[in-house]
Amino acid sequence: MAAALLPLVPPLNEGRFSTLLGALGSLIAFLAASHALLGGVPTHLDFRFWQGPARLELDALSAAFLLPLHLVAGLGIIYGAEYWPITLSKGFGRSLRFFFGFLVTAMTLLFVTRNGLLFLVAWEIMAISAFFLVNTEHHRPEVRRASWVYLVCTHTGTLAITASVILLAHRLGGFAWSPLPPGALGSLDIWILALAVLGFAFKAGLLPLHFWLPAAHASAPSHVSAILSAVMLKTGIYGLLRVSSLLPGVPAWMGGALLTLGALSAVYGVWNALAQRDYKRLLAYSSIENLGIITMGVGLGWTGRALGDPWLTALGFGGAIFHVWNHAIFKSLLFFGSGALLHATGTRDMEGLGGLAARMPRTALVMLPGVLAVAALPPFNGFLSEWFLYRGLFASLRGGDAWSSGLALLALVFTGGLAAVAFARFYGVIFLGTPRSEAGAHAHDPSRLMLVPMGILAVLTLGIGLLSLPLLPVLDRVVSVVAPGPALSRALPLATLVGRDFRMLLLLEGLLLVFGGLALAWLRRGVRAAEAPPTWDCGYAAPTARMQYTGSSFADGWSVFLPGVTQRVRSIRALFPRAHSFHTRIQDVVGDGLLAPWLERAAARLFRFHRFQTGYLSVYILYVLVTLLGVFLWLLLRARLPL
Amino acid sequence: MPQALVPTLLNLLFRAFVVLLLPPLIPGLITKIKAWMAGRSGPPVLQLYYDLAKLARKQAVFSRTTTWVFLAGPVGTVAALLVASLLIPLGHTAPLLAFEGDVILFAYLLGLGRFLTVLSALDTGSAFEGMGAAREVSFSALAEPALFFGFAALARATGSLSLTPMLQSHGMWTAGHLSGPLMLILAGWGIVFLAENSRIPVDDPNTHLELTMIHEVMVLDHSGRPLALILYGASLKLVVLGALLVDPLLPVLSKGWLNGLAFLGGIGLLAVVVGLVESTAARFRMNKVPQFLVAGVLASAFAFLLLLV
Repeated sequence: MAAALLPLVPPLNEGRFSTLLGALGSLIAFLAASHALLGGVPTHLDFRFWQGPARLELDALSAAFLLPLHLVAGLGIIYGAEYWPITLSKGFGRSLRFFFGFLVTAMTLLFVTRNGLLFLVAWEIMAISAFFLVNTEHHRPEVRRASWVYLVCTHTGTLAITASVILLAHRLGGFAWSPLPPGALGSLDIWILALAVLGFAFKAGLLPLHFWLPAAHASAPSHVSAILSAVMLKTGIYGLLRVSSLLPGVPAWMGGALLTLGALSAVYGVWNALAQRDYKRLLAYSSIENLGIITMGVGLGWTGRALGDPWLTALGFGGAIFHVWNHAIFKSLLFFGSGALLHATGTRDMEGLGGLAARMPRTALVMLPGVLAVAALPPFNGFLSEWFLYRGLFASLRGGDAWSSGLALLALVFTGGLAAVAFARFYGVIFLGTPRSEAGAHAHDPSRLMLVPMGILAVLTLGIGLLSLPLLPVLDRVVSVVAPGPALSRALPLATLVGRDFRMLLLLEGLLLVFGGLALAWLRRGVRAAEAPPTWDCGYAAPTARMQYTGSSFADGWSVFLPGVTQRVRSIRALFPRAHSFHTRIQDVVGDGLLAPWLERAAARLFRFHRFQTGYLSVYILYVLVTLLGVFLWLLLRARLPL
Repeated sequence: MPQALVPTLLNLLFRAFVVLLLPPLIPGLITKIKAWMAGRSGPPVLQLYYDLAKLARKQAVFSRTTTWVFLAGPVGTVAALLVASLLIPLGHTAPLLAFEGDVILFAYLLGLGRFLTVLSALDTGSAFEGMGAAREVSFSALAEPALFFGFAALARATGSLSLTPMLQSHGMWTAGHLSGPLMLILAGWGIVFLAENSRIPVDDPNTHLELTMIHEVMVLDHSGRPLALILYGASLKLVVLGALLVDPLLPVLSKGWLNGLAFLGGIGLLAVVVGLVESTAARFRMNKVPQFLVAGVLASAFAFLLLLV
């Protein structure tokens, strides 16, 4: 237990020692979280914080988020030792390590605290260490811009969360977080929830508050991107689940609204992922999609809780938590892999790559399960959590809010289809075919220190896909924390609700591998031509790498459906055109198109206040003095006058 | 006990026959119908069996660009379709495996096969195969909602999320309030059937111009046994998706073997209809295909709306 609270001494020592210490801390915390999830008694630690009672508690919900955190953090520390060596002169290796440890510690504190003030403190430490991590390569202007945009956005979100925490303290009678008994909703509750949704949606990157996310996650070092995408975004989901679990209930319309918001984010995220050329941005947009899917689960669970429907509650919350784990596994795998690509080729533009499966065979092998899992294909883990959500949505068609769940169903189907397109493009353009540039032609596999963490994650995607039956009671434990009350959680555990169907599902997925193995064995026994000619390509004699389909041409069929995402600047006309050039620009329709002009106008207005900022220290001291004087006067007058 | 065992064994045998032996007959039947309509005698109905036997013996040539991903397409497609064929009811014969939520597995298995085929097409580094891959994923992403809306409508009508009760609940065709939606669903699924099996008017399996191909162009570089798997997989897909269309229309007969015969007759009739469609229609221009698919989505979405209100 104590290990879970102090997982990471910010590693100040040199290289190997700090890596070892960090990985060990994460391992201990991971084991503690697993113990709590496997039915260990919830442990807690009481103390006083700012003259109020405070408590650190490790219950199933905390453990459910600590588990992916320390899995990704531990593997990320090992991976980072090779990916970004401490001795790298230009690399700011020390600050990277320091803030990585700080980020993990802050998130650990965030997940175990039961005190509003401490929650805010942890939230702030997390936000600021993430800022420094994103800003690691601060000699590059686009990185500086991305990290500042992130910092502003996260603080705007913190504002809403602070307001929500204050209202919650009013409701609970103190900053200590202990759940209210289920019952009628108070008048404040809707405001608490609405502010929480606003603030946490900023962190989770839900539409339209997602615009900081792609640039920040693409600019950070890859193992940092992994932890940001795989865990930090989900602190938003954790916040929603925790705050709503403290309240006596949730209004039903809010569940439907959250479901719709999640559905829109999912479609929007994958829509943009389809168009990206920068493969790390593509992964970041896919995170928006997956957070949308998780939010759909939370919305479904809220609806179920409001209607007192144990089916919806279990499937919605259970699916959301399951997808939190699955997304953490496959997305960190993909980000680790993208780091290996960046390491080997030095470019983030997928149009310059190709043919890496022949040059980086091990990386290609461990990336394929990640790609299949993110496209939610069986027998990998991403499919199982979406299966939960599908069942929840179909159930909601009959029992819950039919209209919003019908919409969400369409969104989930469409998201699945588009994710398959986006990731067939991702894998196909980067790993298959022939290299499109010199950078890709001389790539090679990274060393074992980077490959082993990826291998572990790849095995997990398949392992969870095939053997996740024991996870059902674990999910039940988490759901009973999220939706307190005997009526909901104890009535129908997931293990009895879907146990049999789930077992059949896993059986058939195993059978899929068996059939695949048989087919492969049959192919292996066939005759193979002695020599390997070039690709036939309909008899074309001199194929070159530039004739291949590129990522842009692969997505071009969708340009009709992606209005505004790709813009072709200056088109080529006339029958016999002279030398011309054109380029395409990829933009975020909501972020760059709708919000940016509005924000720029607001910034121009606010610029008037700039005249107060002269840069002279004496003037600032004057401001402080005047403010103090004003406060004194106000206090004096308030005491004298009968107001 | 033996009385229960014999029908089960017969049922298993029937299922093995339908999944393993029957499929290559269907493309032969379609080709024969097309030949007759054009006044030719055409290749023998069993031509695909001969082709498969020949391919199984031939050398497989692998381009030097390709990697192990190249084999994932044929292997994954056949494995996924075989598992999908376990889930689908064959007419009104006794089901083999059915559980709540198997429709989702069914749809995603089709997706898995497609995804791996696309990857093995891109593995060749050929411009044509990349083009086919891009078209295939785009069109099937549009076909998938049509399939799912049909499932959602049937799930709402039958109260179940399993293929067997959805497709085997008899009397839907005659029950007044369900026949309309069912017709719309079948119209939508018919479009999905044509698109997923790359038939006219979406794709022409007999075309000779690579620029206009969708599915065929993705497998240009496969040969020998991998090609045999692909061809068998394509014919199995005709049967598996054909069962979706045929099952709701079949009457329930008293004897198990009669139901089996009815299913075979239904699949044969479907092959004849596809042959007639292919003889009388031309393929669409490539940019008309999405409109055709969206029509399918709208048909099944409308069925879903009818059942929702």
